[in-house]
Amino acid sequence: MEWAWLIPVFCFAAAPLIVVFGERLPGKGAILSILAIGGGFVVFWVVLTAFLGASPASEINGTADCFTSEFTESLTCVYEHSWFHAADLELVWGIIIDPLTLVMLGLVTFVALMVQVYSLGYMKGDPNFGWYFAVHSLFAAAMLTLVLADNFLLLYVAWELVGICSYLLIGFWHERPSAREAAKKAFIVTRIGDVGLLIGILLLWREVGSFSMSEAFEAASTGAMSEGVTTAAAILLLLGAMGKSAQVPFHVWLPDAMEGPTPVSALIHAATMVVAGVYLVARAFPIFSAYDADPLVVVVIVGLVTALMASTIALVATDLKRILAYSTISHLGLMMLSLGAFGYTAAIFHLLAHGFAKALLFLGAGSVLHSTEEQDIQRMGGLRKVMPLTALVFSIGAISLGGIPILSGFWSKDEILAAVNDHRNVAFIVFALLTALMSALYMARAMFIAFYGQLREGMEQVHDAPWLMAVPMALLAVLAIGFGFLSFNWPGDYDGIGSFVSFGERHGFSFTWWLGILSAVMAVGSFLFAWQVYLKGRISLDNAKATFAPILKVVENKYYFDEVYQWVIDRVVLVFSRIIAWFDRAVVNDIGVNTPANSVRRLGYTLRLHVTGHVYSYTLAMVLGFVGLGIFWWFRST
Amino acid sequence: MVSLFYFQLLSAGLFAIGLYGVLARRSAVLIVMSIELMLNAVNINLIAAASHLEGRGSFVRFDGQIIAIFIITIAAAEVGLALAIILRMYRNRSTVNVDEIDIMKW
Amino acid sequence: MNNFDEAALFILILVPLLGALLIMFMPKDRPKDIWYLAILVAGISLVLSLIIFARYDYGEGGFQFLRTFDWIDQPLNIDLSLGIDGISAPLILLNGIVLFGGVLISQTILHRNRDFFVLLLALGSGVFGVFAVRDLFFLFFFYELAVLPMYLLIGVWGSSTDFGTFLRTKEYGAMKLMLYLIAGSILVWIAILAVYVEASDAGVPDFSLTSLGTLAESGQFSATFQNWVFPLFMVGFGVLAGLWPFHTWSPDGHVAAPTAVSMLHAGVLMKLGAYGIIRVGLTLLPDGADAWMPVLISLGTVNVLYGAVSAMSQTDLKYVIGYSSVSHMGYVLMGIATLDRIGVGGAVLQMFSHGIMTALMFLLVGAIYDRAHIRDIHVLNGLSKRMRVTAFFFAIAGLASLGLPGLSGFIAEFMVFTGTFRTYLPLAILAVVGAALTAVYILRLLARTFLGESDEQWEHLTDGSLIEKGVGGAFVIILIFVGVWPEPMMRVINVSVDVLPGL
Repeated sequence: MEWAWLIPVFCFAAAPLIVVFGERLPGKGAILSILAIGGGFVVFWVVLTAFLGASPASEINGTADCFTSEFTESLTCVYEHSWFHAADLELVWGIIIDPLTLVMLGLVTFVALMVQVYSLGYMKGDPNFGWYFAVHSLFAAAMLTLVLADNFLLLYVAWELVGICSYLLIGFWHERPSAREAAKKAFIVTRIGDVGLLIGILLLWREVGSFSMSEAFEAASTGAMSEGVTTAAAILLLLGAMGKSAQVPFHVWLPDAMEGPTPVSALIHAATMVVAGVYLVARAFPIFSAYDADPLVVVVIVGLVTALMASTIALVATDLKRILAYSTISHLGLMMLSLGAFGYTAAIFHLLAHGFAKALLFLGAGSVLHSTEEQDIQRMGGLRKVMPLTALVFSIGAISLGGIPILSGFWSKDEILAAVNDHRNVAFIVFALLTALMSALYMARAMFIAFYGQLREGMEQVHDAPWLMAVPMALLAVLAIGFGFLSFNWPGDYDGIGSFVSFGERHGFSFTWWLGILSAVMAVGSFLFAWQVYLKGRISLDNAKATFAPILKVVENKYYFDEVYQWVIDRVVLVFSRIIAWFDRAVVNDIGVNTPANSVRRLGYTLRLHVTGHVYSYTLAMVLGFVGLGIFWWFRST
Repeated sequence: MVSLFYFQLLSAGLFAIGLYGVLARRSAVLIVMSIELMLNAVNINLIAAASHLEGRGSFVRFDGQIIAIFIITIAAAEVGLALAIILRMYRNRSTVNVDEIDIMKW
Repeated sequence: MNNFDEAALFILILVPLLGALLIMFMPKDRPKDIWYLAILVAGISLVLSLIIFARYDYGEGGFQFLRTFDWIDQPLNIDLSLGIDGISAPLILLNGIVLFGGVLISQTILHRNRDFFVLLLALGSGVFGVFAVRDLFFLFFFYELAVLPMYLLIGVWGSSTDFGTFLRTKEYGAMKLMLYLIAGSILVWIAILAVYVEASDAGVPDFSLTSLGTLAESGQFSATFQNWVFPLFMVGFGVLAGLWPFHTWSPDGHVAAPTAVSMLHAGVLMKLGAYGIIRVGLTLLPDGADAWMPVLISLGTVNVLYGAVSAMSQTDLKYVIGYSSVSHMGYVLMGIATLDRIGVGGAVLQMFSHGIMTALMFLLVGAIYDRAHIRDIHVLNGLSKRMRVTAFFFAIAGLASLGLPGLSGFIAEFMVFTGTFRTYLPLAILAVVGAALTAVYILRLLARTFLGESDEQWEHLTDGSLIEKGVGGAFVIILIFVGVWPEPMMRVINVSVDVLPGL
């Protein structure tokens, strides 16, 4: 298990090698990148087996590195190595291996591997093929470090690195101004959240005297850290999480991030990086749940608002990738909602299920894009006939995420609803159900419009995905269907995901019947409704659209968030910056510097008139000076 | 023995004449000559003082004479230099009238 | 090797000076050979500074490579005493690196290049002197030796730029820089004399930092005295460190200066000021430092934010980087002002890291300017197409500047934040916000200038020459190395920061 640090290191090593030697390697170094992440995947399995073999905890308990965490009540191993000293402070490279980390490792290595293989086909012929894989490797390395980190400093390091990789990949086609702007926007918006995260981390350090997570958790739970500070730190960490996980009001960057190549959207902006925020809240759960767990109220509200708002936008968006992006935001909101309702296991389970399904959807969308170069679903239709495999896997993803039983999305969403039902009041469960309903609706809408019905003209020549792209999609599809079964109690030692990833008390699989049936009915109903509306045309929405036109306009304009941000940037930030720059030039420089300088010059011009250039006038002045001095001394001495 | 006062009177008179020459004359050569007058006035003063003070107080020996000889030597060098400068000046501007040589300003 | 240790610092200061002397006698019609000779001299300096840094025994700590040459005895007591500790060792290395890089890329300077290298090497020697010397008189002497050549270097080899609404001639830049720095050094000189007089009254008429340090430790300088002398040091040295509101010489100087001079100016010269505050201010006047730190840290915070906000709306590449230097020097000043071990250690590391980073940026801007003859970020675009490696290096330098982990800037800024969090919480939060502002102007610059399609007028541009790529690559490697494994740097810095009085 102590070799888990190798998982990110492979990828870290691959990135510079590809940059430097990529041109001379076969496949411009892409092989290297895939080998690295593949190696990481293998090591992940080795570590997982070792970890499972090490259970029950008592066997290994008591040795130096492993212990049973008092918070998650599961086996936790920590390996640390000194990094550097800042005066009296020792900073460490440290990895933590516990169930949360393990499931994240599995998700990241698997999806990254799939996406990289897919990219071999998708990015074929791109002039910057090697660079693409180098950044991919760096991203994978940083993301794996992020989930392995056992201290906040290392987490922050990885956090920023995934941010910059996201920046580089969104702006991969930087010839397009929109991609450039989107990349910048993504980095700066998340960076605003990161300010909060960094302040939170430093605040914890100020209180605890260490960046170690376990010490911070200890201090929060034993009361060594006051309630005010704990709450403040939790809110600040949440700010970082909101930036990364695109929660309202920091969600604006994610839809624009779709400017990047589609496999990037699949890996970074659906399955891995954007869930880092959810992961952070889960990881720092002892801080959030300390004292009266007040910060969780904020988490649940942020999650709910995000989930609702994003799903309404997804309902009216027409760009296939943007529908998926808003759906991602909405599901991230659901995960936050779940965490805020103490649904730790549910959130993580949904994180995984959503990760596989959404990566699959994006890869499917990428396949469409690849062969049609069309993103607007209104100009698609009937694609099932020309690209059957893509249509199949996309439908599987949509149905899974839409919450149709018995696919994985149903089980994970159900656990969230159960958690909300158990811990929060009725308003939350109503809105959560509403979100689930809309989630099924927009998935059905996108699926039916794009892939079913009449084939559009000019699309006859469209071909299905080549096998390099098909295989990863197929594998992900299998998970999108079957991953949910992991939540059940199986014969043997396995008591559902709740017995593996949990916070506090372990719990096996449970099913709230009325909620499950209600959500299943809603999901199926939504799909039937969408089928009638978009495919059969039996139900028309025109009347409803006309009635709610003003509301529709607001939603179609994404609640004017972009406009508000743009206004603030143009009218406040940039104007302020120009005022400061002007101040520097006009006041500090021209008045502060040039005015004294000019007055010295003017004084010089005036005084020089007294200089005649005649020798005798100088001499006379000298003599008079001497006489004056003589007289002075004369008077002084008498 | 002639009183020191008369030497000093002579010295002061010579110095005043020299000073007048420096201030009033326009010809560079005459100004140099006037400076020589002033230097010699100082020499007289020094030697007179030295010979009167000789053997008295701490300031003994031939200090005045030595300084006077120094001044004579330096004055000779200085005249050489000054005349050389004036000569160059004349070559360049065809005049030694200091009124017309006023580039030493601004 | 003991003999080497004793002579090392003296040789280090002497080598560039002798080199300058040698170059003076080269025939001026062989610019190539002059350049080779300058490279040789700077190379020897680099090797020496590397050896000195490597041989500094961080286990033992304290001042090492000590050597004193008697100069003026009683009653003045001015000796050329040399010695470095863990704070000056990284800075000596920094100067060696930047000087060598600056000389290497000055191949393009052909106009009177003999004089150029003479002055550049003299400047380098002065900087080595400031970092190596243990005597206030010689500290001032070398300080001036480092500052004065800047005037000629900018005035003769600089460039004038017309910004439409205003004009910045190289003469203006040079004059302004000179007047500011001289004004600063006058304050420093007054303060040095005041310290000397005060020490004489206490019975130790000495300029030696060692004996003055012992005097300060025994509390011989009264609090009143410290309170009025410290601000002189703070502002005097602060001018050189770009302390707000005395910073305007710096961006204007950069805009006017030739590439190599910009590199040394931002990379090394600005560090002299901060180093002076630590070495003289903190060591000799700990009480004064304590009293004035709220002022210094407030000004430092203003530096950080003001520089970043100003940089946002600049259109000239060099102005952007110039103001970003002002902003980053703010972190150095903040770190010093925390009077906290982590903070001061962070400040020292930031000096090193920022030195390399800014030198790299100016190098690349110089490479662009040499080819495009313009630095306006609205006119330049899509440069990554033609200048791939240059753009890549610039991106790395930019990312280091916005504090990306894995690059040295992050470690340094992080330590400054940490130190500030322990001492001045509200200002620390502002400083973290400043770091986010950096992202705005760096990304704006990258997007406008390097990314996107390029105009036809930039079709002819070629990538950096082999030398530019080599030097840039070396700088990038240093940035990454220090960012990933700062321990070799930190263990040297730690031993000396730990023993600073008043922390």
